[in-house]
Amino acid sequence: MEEGRAERRRRTEAPRCTQGGARRAGVMTDVHRRFLQLLMTHGVLEEQAVRHLQKHCYNVHDCTAAVEDLEDFINNINSVLESLYIEIKKGATEDDGRPVYALVNLATTSVSKMSSDFAENELDLFRKALDLIIDSETGFASSTNILNLVDQLKGKKMRKKEAEQVLQKFVQDKWLIEKEGEFTLHSRAILEMEQYIRETYPDAVKICNICHSLLIQGQSCETCGIRMHLPCVAKYFRSSPEPRCPHCNDYWPHEIPEVFNPDKEQEAGTSKLNKKPLRSRQH
Amino acid sequence: MLSRLPPPHLLPPVTVPATAENMFQKPRRQDRPSSQDKREKEWERGATAMEEAPSTSRGAAGFQEAPGTSSQGSRGAEAFPEVWPRSQQQLELKVAELVQFLLIKDQKKTPIRRADIRKHVLGDYKNIFHDLLKMAAERLEYVFGYKLVELEPKSRSYILINTLEPVEEDAEFRGDQGTPTTGLLMSILGLIFMKGNSVKESEVWDFLRRLGVFPTKMHSVFGDPKKLITQVFVRQRYLDYLRIPHTDPVEYEFQWGPRTKLETSKMKVLKFVAKVHNQDPKDWPGQYLEALAEEEARARPETETGGPPSSS
Repeated sequence: MEEGRAERRRRTEAPRCTQGGARRAGVMTDVHRRFLQLLMTHGVLEEQAVRHLQKHCYNVHDCTAAVEDLEDFINNINSVLESLYIEIKKGATEDDGRPVYALVNLATTSVSKMSSDFAENELDLFRKALDLIIDSETGFASSTNILNLVDQLKGKKMRKKEAEQVLQKFVQDKWLIEKEGEFTLHSRAILEMEQYIRETYPDAVKICNICHSLLIQGQSCETCGIRMHLPCVAKYFRSSPEPRCPHCNDYWPHEIPEVFNPDKEQEAGTSKLNKKPLRSRQH
Repeated sequence: MLSRLPPPHLLPPVTVPATAENMFQKPRRQDRPSSQDKREKEWERGATAMEEAPSTSRGAAGFQEAPGTSSQGSRGAEAFPEVWPRSQQQLELKVAELVQFLLIKDQKKTPIRRADIRKHVLGDYKNIFHDLLKMAAERLEYVFGYKLVELEPKSRSYILINTLEPVEEDAEFRGDQGTPTTGLLMSILGLIFMKGNSVKESEVWDFLRRLGVFPTKMHSVFGDPKKLITQVFVRQRYLDYLRIPHTDPVEYEFQWGPRTKLETSKMKVLKFVAKVHNQDPKDWPGQYLEALAEEEARARPETETGGPPSSS
């Protein structure tokens, strides 16, 4: 079906709808739209995959144009998304510092994003798991402890066997990560719920001393108690012969992880699944 | 065999990171939560955050709903003939909420009823419903490339049409599986068109049997094929399942549903069928001419199908 020229022009120009004051929104083209549509099918996506997705969108619509730098490309889209109270947010996995992206909601601070996929009692199960994760020292909650709370759930009664399956669904949908029978938050959940978590658990929430973002897993100083994300530790103590706590200057007692290197990974041809899991609980 | 068919030009499901249905429940009044129940209340408050002051990460300067306002209209909002002054930001927030609502609802592929939109999202904003819906439709198209279209004139229900043509390679970049059922649907649409726009249910099953799909046998990909074809596709408005009068026992026939007519075209379906048979669309001159006629009719703006949401 041939599209009228007028229609196509209307679609590429900024619409005359409500946009605040002096906000300068970028321009959306079909490249950006396809990118957004496909990005939305992922809860969270690693940077490498995001780059490939961007390239694909350029290929489909405009092979000749130079692929814009990813950061600028995303900032452009975000300036348009601003009036819809959503944004493409960048974060990093807590265990090995891989950069990841997710499309998050800015105007709400609850887990309601999950609620189209889960029943009331399932959401309550997630809440209980979240309570345990935030309160824990390691950022992990054991399967047993979560399942013991099954009787307290709102909504339809859930048996432990069911709850086990629901927890697996949370893992599949990238809300939780499971390691050796214990659960922690997936980077997707951290990106989408950071603000909500900070507001809901103002006393229990942990913050990284380096990047000041929400911290679930990390290392802590045994003397003064400050905490740092593993990738933040890696960057901060990079090539430091004698790592010392940035706060109290005491000797930093934990193994310093390596900084994430995307190129190294491509050469070795290793996938995340093949890598030996980094021991992340070092408190 | 079906997996080798080219991708049909039908809207794949969209997973949206947006606030969901039960977020748009009737908002509660702004009770100050006690410190003990703070966590509990936060969860519920969050669910209705759109109606109350949202704490956005942009530090929005004190946007508050007028105190005592609730979507039950207890203030007699209907008595106000005009839109009482609302800030630009309040309107923007409402449009944002509406956009997310539409994206999520369309994910399930069931047409979105106007009544649901009014009930779940618009609350106090009922009197500027059309303006808000229009703004939401503009944003949906400009930002995401989805066009909000009324299913049929006067049907008061809507679907989203993708203005971007899906390409085969998209499948590699999707985070979900797309719909494995679209291959099956496309084959049926093809059959219906080639057989003169209507085909008896028995003929459909004869056709599908050859593809290894049976009405009484569970399928590894399609599940319950009978349910899929006679219920799911019908509910999604891809197919119409019509009773043939004066038949005993009752017989049914399939035709294209209104969603199919909006999302694809006879020409596209003909090209699909031609490709499957490794032939040219012109090898079926009757259908080819019919498809051409439809294209010409669509090109004339007065007879264009779909379009922006009509006013009540």
